[in-house]
Amino acid sequence: MGDHESSKLDHENHLLLDQPLLQLPVELLRKNLRSARFEVEKDGSFVKETLKKTATDSVNGRISQQDVLKTLDSMITRMRGVKRKLTAFSEEENRLHRHEEARVKHLTELYGMYSVDDVKYEGWSRTRLDRLLTDYLLRQGYVNSARALAQERGIELLVDVDTFDQMNRIRQCLLNGSVQEALAWCTAGDTKKELRKMDSNLEFMLRYQQYIELVRSRSQTRPDEALAHARKHLFPYKDIYPKEVLHACGLLGMPPECVDRVEAYKELYAPARWQMLADLFTATHHSLLSLPPIPLLHIALSSGLSALKTPACHSIHPNSAAAPSHHTSLSLATSVCPICSTELNELARNVPHALHSKSHVEPDLLLLPNGRAYGKARLEEYAKKAGLAEGQVKDLRTGDVYEVDQLKKVYIS
Amino acid sequence: MSLLELQKELEKFNRASKLTLAVQDADDLINFLVSAREEVAAANDPHTTSLTLTKLQNPISAQLDAINSDLGRVHKSQNAFHKALSRSLKETKGTLPTDHDPMESQTALINRAIAMHLLREGQFEVASTFIGEAQPQSETSESAAQARRQPPSITISRPDTPPDAMITDADIPSDLTAFQSQALQEKFADMYSILTSLRQRDLYPAIGWARQNSTELEARGSNLEFELCKLQFIWLFKGPLVNGLPPTVDNGISGALKYARDNFGRFQHRHLREIERLSCAMVYAPNLTESPYKAIFDTSLAFDEVSSSFTREFCSLLGLSAESPLYVAATAGALALPNLVKWTGINRAKNTEWTTQNELAFETPLPRSMLYHSIFVCPVSRGQTTDANPPIILPCGHVLARESLQKLAKGIRYKCPYCPSEGVVKDAKEIIL
Repeated sequence: MGDHESSKLDHENHLLLDQPLLQLPVELLRKNLRSARFEVEKDGSFVKETLKKTATDSVNGRISQQDVLKTLDSMITRMRGVKRKLTAFSEEENRLHRHEEARVKHLTELYGMYSVDDVKYEGWSRTRLDRLLTDYLLRQGYVNSARALAQERGIELLVDVDTFDQMNRIRQCLLNGSVQEALAWCTAGDTKKELRKMDSNLEFMLRYQQYIELVRSRSQTRPDEALAHARKHLFPYKDIYPKEVLHACGLLGMPPECVDRVEAYKELYAPARWQMLADLFTATHHSLLSLPPIPLLHIALSSGLSALKTPACHSIHPNSAAAPSHHTSLSLATSVCPICSTELNELARNVPHALHSKSHVEPDLLLLPNGRAYGKARLEEYAKKAGLAEGQVKDLRTGDVYEVDQLKKVYIS
Repeated sequence: MSLLELQKELEKFNRASKLTLAVQDADDLINFLVSAREEVAAANDPHTTSLTLTKLQNPISAQLDAINSDLGRVHKSQNAFHKALSRSLKETKGTLPTDHDPMESQTALINRAIAMHLLREGQFEVASTFIGEAQPQSETSESAAQARRQPPSITISRPDTPPDAMITDADIPSDLTAFQSQALQEKFADMYSILTSLRQRDLYPAIGWARQNSTELEARGSNLEFELCKLQFIWLFKGPLVNGLPPTVDNGISGALKYARDNFGRFQHRHLREIERLSCAMVYAPNLTESPYKAIFDTSLAFDEVSSSFTREFCSLLGLSAESPLYVAATAGALALPNLVKWTGINRAKNTEWTTQNELAFETPLPRSMLYHSIFVCPVSRGQTTDANPPIILPCGHVLARESLQKLAKGIRYKCPYCPSEGVVKDAKEIIL
């Protein structure tokens, strides 16, 4: 039967949603290693160079005994710092390995199931929903909820609370009007290099905002501070961001009371810029870690709502083909459709309904004189439960009673 | 290569060298430096110093190289695993449709759905955290506490302007929807406050609700009301030391007895046996833990159990589906996604968005258990019937869409496309499937 076909699990394609799950720890591992390399590179070459220089100086007698000891101490301190950092990177590495292992295990469990109706599949799919929900909560910035949900469901290894928590904190700082934290993120370790590879404008935009703030408060700060900032951080990029640099120059010449009158400058002073920067940061963060730009729950929902939706779900006739009305939702009536259920009904309004090329109706349909049709088996069972006399049936929704000989067979081709 | 083979790669990856080696080598390097320093300090003689420093150069540079090659090995194993991962995902074709997100502007509705999902799944702690967090104005702890009492994220802000891609014929009057959701919001507020009381071991609000709805509950075959009363009896029975209620005559064994006299009468018909057991347990009051009634009086899980069974009954009486809609939708979403991905992959070049139509342009086969409505596809037009174009049954028993019949008919007469019978259009009647 065709039905068998549609409940069979296509493992490879069923995991479309779950690719980021496996990818993120690997991305983070790579980032972790890059940062480790960066530190070793930086401090290692310092130690090597310093040692070489000190040795030469010492041979030539250009350095005092005391200074040699001091230099050695500074090298030891540096290397201890490197060791401390490497230890932290190593712990992070172990954590990420545990994450990846748990995820591969979780996803391969699916290969042990062959049908959607498998009981094990339900459990697996529930875990997936919890993962999707946690991802959504994290992206919305509801970190405590996400943490609580992950804990309650024991899926800490399958979600990335810490990664998003860190991101959200920086994002929140931007929304509160502070660029420091985001700038620190941009320039930490090797992120700068990676951002340059992606042609990201994040750092420039943050510097630009710093400049705007300096100009805004120029009466309190030293007047040349804004200019110095611009010289250092903005002017070198005038070929890449000509418009921004031009506006930056213009802004400096604008008396504060006139700014509101020129649309372009008014925008620069607008608080909405912080929202823009926060969104830019989020987008940059996600693409740096190869995270999907939108919550996976959105993808699952838009696809799922469409697939489940029928023209009846938003029908104007409350009693038509739609779900049985609540008071009659007996065990005999079909279960309430998730799209008709209040939770999702409004949400499903903007998605298309599913395309069907075949009719799906109850077997042995019988037409009642009131225009409603039900399957023969259900009508008979309901009549028995309602204690009707032989040869009578009762409408499952309206409760009208009819004689069996008033019924008519329905042919659905 | 599938994920199953990735497992082997993962084992290899886990066994491969890691950063711990680099930490060790860094430690060795520090030791070189430290011992050199000691040497220099001990000798305190320029000649030894320059000799030590010169001799130190080679080991330090070798050690640095060692650290770098440690990192190189980690890099190599990471690359190998990364490649294996890409290979294993290659069979999964296509990329996620992220260009166009119909859910983007629906945060309020999604939040509402999640809140309802968490409530119905019994994750009350998470739900209350979520409602507190998703509620933008609740900054202070006081308003957060208020948010606890009346779950506000269930407040739905309906989109002011309905999106233009609408089902042509399915606009429920908006005031009706607003009314419905308002009522629902109050119901959930009730449910939430009852559950909060339950968590504080106060059963009375729940009992009150169960009594109000006893007819419906009984029709559903639910014992909720009795279970609640029974737990109340046990709770009182345990006395002030356990339940923390004031030690009056209404508490402890006397209170439990009084409660039983006042309340158990109504259940005698249905639950006589259990009431008898409860009364017999009285005899063992001094050492219940040793008695055969120990299990009945163990309340460690009882409150959680009644809480979840209360939630279930509450949802059923509200007409909410038994399964969480969010769960069904997400599962259906994963099942339908491959076809969506395939379609968006093909149509990306044409820049058509899949949500601008009323009907999906591709089929998304779901298992039978996920079909909730009768679906009638007109055998003539091959389209699904809608409110505007309902199914019509001909006197011969064959069913068509109304528009198809109108096209087939010549004047007022038609001929059935599936059997030899002919008839008059007005004899064909609308059918509700």
